[in-house]
Amino acid sequence: MAGSALRRLMAEYKQLTLNPPEGIIAGPINEENFFEWEALITGPEGTCFEGGVFPAKLIFPPDYPLSPPKMQFTCEMFHPNIYADGRVCISILHAPGDDPMGYESSAERWSPVQSVEKILLSVVSMLAEPNDESGANVDAAKMWREDRLEFERIAQKLVKKTLGIPI
Amino acid sequence: MPMVFLDRLPVPSLRAYTSISIAILSCSIYYAAQIVKDPGWRNNHPNSLVAAVGNATDNNASAIVDSRTLGVHMRELFACMVQEPGCIWTLINMAYCVLILVGKSIQKLVFGELRVSERQHLKDKFWNFVFYKFIFVFGVLNVQYMDEVVLWCAWFTALGFLSLLSQLCKDRFEYLSFSPTTPGWSHVRLLGLLTAILALSSFMLLMCVAAGFFFVSFNTFAFMAAECILLGVRTIHVMLRYAIHLYDTRGAGNTSPRSWDKRGPLAYYTELTSELTILAVDFLHHVHMLLWSNIFLSMASLVICMQLRYLFHEIQRRITKHRNYLAVLSHMEQNYPMASQEELAENSDNCAICWEKMETARKLPCGHLFHNSCLQSWLEQDTSCPTCRLALSMQANHRENAPEIPSESPTPARRNDNHFFHFDGSRYVSWLPSFSVEVTHNRIRGDISALAHTNSQLDAMARQVQQLFPYYPRNVILEDLRGTRSIEITIENILDSRLLPPHHVIEEPEAEPATTTQTTTAHILPIPLVQDTLDPRLDIPAADSGEEPSNLGGRFSKSSMERERILQRRKEHMLLTARRKYFERHPHHNESDTSLDVSSPVNLNNVTPRISLSHN
Ligand SMILES: [Zn+2]
Ligand SMILES: [Zn+2]
Repeated sequence: MAGSALRRLMAEYKQLTLNPPEGIIAGPINEENFFEWEALITGPEGTCFEGGVFPAKLIFPPDYPLSPPKMQFTCEMFHPNIYADGRVCISILHAPGDDPMGYESSAERWSPVQSVEKILLSVVSMLAEPNDESGANVDAAKMWREDRLEFERIAQKLVKKTLGIPI
Repeated sequence: MPMVFLDRLPVPSLRAYTSISIAILSCSIYYAAQIVKDPGWRNNHPNSLVAAVGNATDNNASAIVDSRTLGVHMRELFACMVQEPGCIWTLINMAYCVLILVGKSIQKLVFGELRVSERQHLKDKFWNFVFYKFIFVFGVLNVQYMDEVVLWCAWFTALGFLSLLSQLCKDRFEYLSFSPTTPGWSHVRLLGLLTAILALSSFMLLMCVAAGFFFVSFNTFAFMAAECILLGVRTIHVMLRYAIHLYDTRGAGNTSPRSWDKRGPLAYYTELTSELTILAVDFLHHVHMLLWSNIFLSMASLVICMQLRYLFHEIQRRITKHRNYLAVLSHMEQNYPMASQEELAENSDNCAICWEKMETARKLPCGHLFHNSCLQSWLEQDTSCPTCRLALSMQANHRENAPEIPSESPTPARRNDNHFFHFDGSRYVSWLPSFSVEVTHNRIRGDISALAHTNSQLDAMARQVQQLFPYYPRNVILEDLRGTRSIEITIENILDSRLLPPHHVIEEPEAEPATTTQTTTAHILPIPLVQDTLDPRLDIPAADSGEEPSNLGGRFSKSSMERERILQRRKEHMLLTARRKYFERHPHHNESDTSLDVSSPVNLNNVTPRISLSHN
């Protein structure tokens, strides 16, 4: 099982290295374990996360791409679709079988034709347009709806933190 | 487990243990030598050993006298030590010490430093082994005499040693299979060790057969042989998986065409056969133990029953999974033709599942092509086209019968839901075995499963209904299914127009290809983020990276070390660019004291290690 997963991951890594999408870098931290990657995601322009470089880790299952990887931000995040521990809650990362929120149509969920690149692009679009129906972080969702200015202030603080700029 | 407690006992270091053992051994040798010197001892023990040695020396007249007398002396010493109860224990202790040393050196030679999970696994396996063998020796066999216990201990020590090594090999193999860049040398060492284990276990099996013929009862022989066979098959299983893995990864990274379709079923059937053999032998072994230990209500039989129950479920699960495999296979063969050469030529894309070139492919009704084995493994867990999400009915041939719920997925949580009448004996009396009977009638199956529907099952059912009534919106069907929990009743509802017919045709997002994610995200990034400005004032400190930034993106090195380094540099470069851009956008920061940070390598070091450290 792990053999074909390895070949596919290698192909994806190669593609992401040769034709990297704007503002995204991803690859295995240590090639002794090719099933654990780190990704850097640049906050999308024109949003409150603009300019930040957010590190996240991706853990792939041995039967990848049949099952989706798990993704977790390793920096502090404040976002309606990101849990307090950094785990990302977007439909593309959910296997077709499980549906924790009970509202996603299976069209948006994981399938083997998805890829690391598509996941990361989805995460970028999630950063730009939070889905406040999914309650991964209820406080953030509430603030996003009711007090956008405060939300943006917190986001800018996080951006500075990821860049290592003193606040 | 009480074994956890034992685990916390202070264990002396290996070095201390070895020296203590050697010291005790020398003491007892000295003691034995003193006894042997005593002429009275030889008269009291005119044993056959000494006589036999004497005989041998007569025949062998030309032997060197010194070594002969030394040999005789050693034999006498040994004979004496075997007879002294104190000495025999030091000998046994020494044997264990040597065994541990051997194990340690194998570990050093083959595995190097053990990883934390391997060590934990090993410990668990060890105590588990000790626990079950204790139950076996005292609960099942009811061994009464000390020398029998010692013999069984010796046997299980050898067996346990090999089992632990085999387990370690398995863990290490699984770890190595996560990396594309393992040096060939570690594969050779691991495979060598596996071969050695296999050879030793066959040797032990031969010993069993010999013992079965000459010394022990048939029952004892069967017990011993079962354990050897288990060990042997487990080792073979690991070796086969290893071989398949090496074949799979051979040339990972290049784009060499592969014969996937031949490999798929072969790999599957080796896996299936080994797993079923292991489970069946283990099951029979435990049944045998249960029948042999004729005291049915003892602790031992309880433990064995629990083990039996677990094994039974495993076998059942494996068979269900295999049935699913066969169903998917025959379904694919009946419904999805192999793509013709023209179709393959027309479709220049790679297989969307494994991203590799397709020499042969199967064609789904929607026109998408996949490798046979790739499609097979996907359809085992889901029933839709990976690319366009077209729902594929697994019962396409006789759809007018109640469409079946595609819940054949082998996830353990769901496996007992609907297909079996399940009798859980342990709920009444703990040693009563559980058993399950398959219910083949379609209607009953639907009813039994009524309570077990999860949302995903509802979703799948809705998909089935929608195939029959494509213009009914999904949410209306889902709503009805939530109430009826049965495909048939919902279909009847629709036919009897109890369900609201749609006034306007609602386009389901399902019908759209999965490319929507891409189109929505594409416009989020209208401006390229990383742009190399020519303004020298804002240039990043190039001395630190040593390479042109443009070089970083466009190369995929063959060496893993270089790839890691380039990735690290690209990350640093991205962070620096982002920081520079940030200061461009917020000029007030630039004027303040932090402006120095941009070019200060100290600050860079503050940032990047944090990113990499957060992974450990
Ligand atoms: Zn394929
Ligand atoms: Zn399709």
